[in-house]
Amino acid sequence: MMKILKAICGYTLAVLGVPLVLIGIMGPSYGLGELFISATGLTLSPWFDGGEVVQTIDHGTYQTHVHRMVFDALIGERKEGFVQVDWVPLDALPARVDEEIEADGDGQADFRVEVDTANKESTLTPYASWVLELEGTYKPEGSLMVRVRLRNPSR
Amino acid sequence: MTASTKTRTGSPPMAIWKALLLSLPMFLITALLPLQALESGELSYIVAILVMWLGFNVAFILMLTTGQTYRYRSVLFILLAVALPLWFIPMMIETHGSMMLSEEAFVSAEANFCPLATFMVIVPALVKRIVIFPSALAGGLGFATAAFMWAGSTLALGRGWCSWGCLFGGWDELFSRLRKRAVIKNIDRRWIYLPFGLLLAIVLLSAVTLSPIYCEWLCPFKIVTEFQAPTSLLAIIQIITFVVLFFALVVVLPLLTRRRIQCGLFCPFGALQSLLNKINIFEVRIDPEKCNQCKRCIRECPTFSLNEGSLESGNPLITCTKCARCIDICTKNAISFHIKGTSLQASPAVARVLYLYPGFVLLFFISSANVGAALHRIVKLITTGSMI
Repeated sequence: MMKILKAICGYTLAVLGVPLVLIGIMGPSYGLGELFISATGLTLSPWFDGGEVVQTIDHGTYQTHVHRMVFDALIGERKEGFVQVDWVPLDALPARVDEEIEADGDGQADFRVEVDTANKESTLTPYASWVLELEGTYKPEGSLMVRVRLRNPSR
Repeated sequence: MTASTKTRTGSPPMAIWKALLLSLPMFLITALLPLQALESGELSYIVAILVMWLGFNVAFILMLTTGQTYRYRSVLFILLAVALPLWFIPMMIETHGSMMLSEEAFVSAEANFCPLATFMVIVPALVKRIVIFPSALAGGLGFATAAFMWAGSTLALGRGWCSWGCLFGGWDELFSRLRKRAVIKNIDRRWIYLPFGLLLAIVLLSAVTLSPIYCEWLCPFKIVTEFQAPTSLLAIIQIITFVVLFFALVVVLPLLTRRRIQCGLFCPFGALQSLLNKINIFEVRIDPEKCNQCKRCIRECPTFSLNEGSLESGNPLITCTKCARCIDICTKNAISFHIKGTSLQASPAVARVLYLYPGFVLLFFISSANVGAALHRIVKLITTGSMI
């Protein structure tokens, strides 16, 4: 009896092979991908997307988005990380962006950043000892972005 | 036996009417693709997809009528791998200006998620609910698309993924088949444990650094897809590493050994598939009573998955990719596909057909995005003089 049951299970699972492959391949085209992401609550690593925006400054024609400081590690925090600042939209930016940024939420400016919006030439003036250097200036689609390397002030 | 008579090997051949009947479900399922292509209204794309659909289905019928699995699977599998850069690189040039990804593309998560990266994202996804790959989460060639494909095919085929679904294994297979004789024959079998060591090391390192270490440093297939622009010394070292690994593991060593060296002795994703293979229902079995100990299967296995112990126990090693090479070359029909839970005397022909179905569907639909798109680019090249 057990043998028959095992054989039935075996053949059933073998026949299920095709539907499993089809769901795996076609599922995401029918919204299963989005459903999976929202159900699991997965997000992109902040080391890639810069983390959540915690402060938005409106300059009228353009806006400054300051992201949270990223020190994320698998467990706890790292000694060093970065903060990302975006200016949008790119085509509304002045020729030179010059702004003081407050990154750690204490109300005091932590660094000043100047960026030539045409050639991405940038200068960083740290006000806090834990602001280390400019990591990079980028122009992803429709925005101007800088990442500033930081030492974790809480460590 | 006379000198001119060849010993028939492989699974028993099938009458053409029976093969056509058993191919009908595949014909119908795979017809979804040309039907979808018709909606596009683009003639070159429709022609490309129809050619692919017909070619693949003819190969499936041949698998059934001849009883040879490896021969036809291998052709399709190689086609899949070679087709990938034929459309992917022109697509990269269209969207990014070159096959090199700029820093902008990384910070705005514009990379394409590769199924081979799945093993690195598991731990951070479970612990921190983050995906450590600079691609979209869902849609297009995003994380969810690859994760679904991987999960479905792993449940259906286990490590059979490495012979039916992997986008890159065909490169290894191609070069391992080019020479008639191996130059290097004696390879220490202990190397088969290297992928498991790499798997453990890369999973841990990726979790600790929250970055896809294999993609950044060890993937030999970066040079046939996309890689970071050489904007720093580190990036230049990475690119040199990719080139060296590709030529060493995918071209030179497979040529010299006639084995899939990258797949059998290096790929950590393959090692993961080996471990997950336990949950899959299909396996390859050897009948020790039929086996005449000629050991040809041991010498010919592309991934070093058979040894003397396998012939005695009737089970290949866990690294078996179910490529069917051993089944096709066995003169005693001692090796066959088997469905776990069924009797060892149960019909191997039924097990084979039930295994070929999901394998073929996976290969066809993965190829549809690659072979179909590559054919489309070639038609475009012929008609307009440019693949872009």
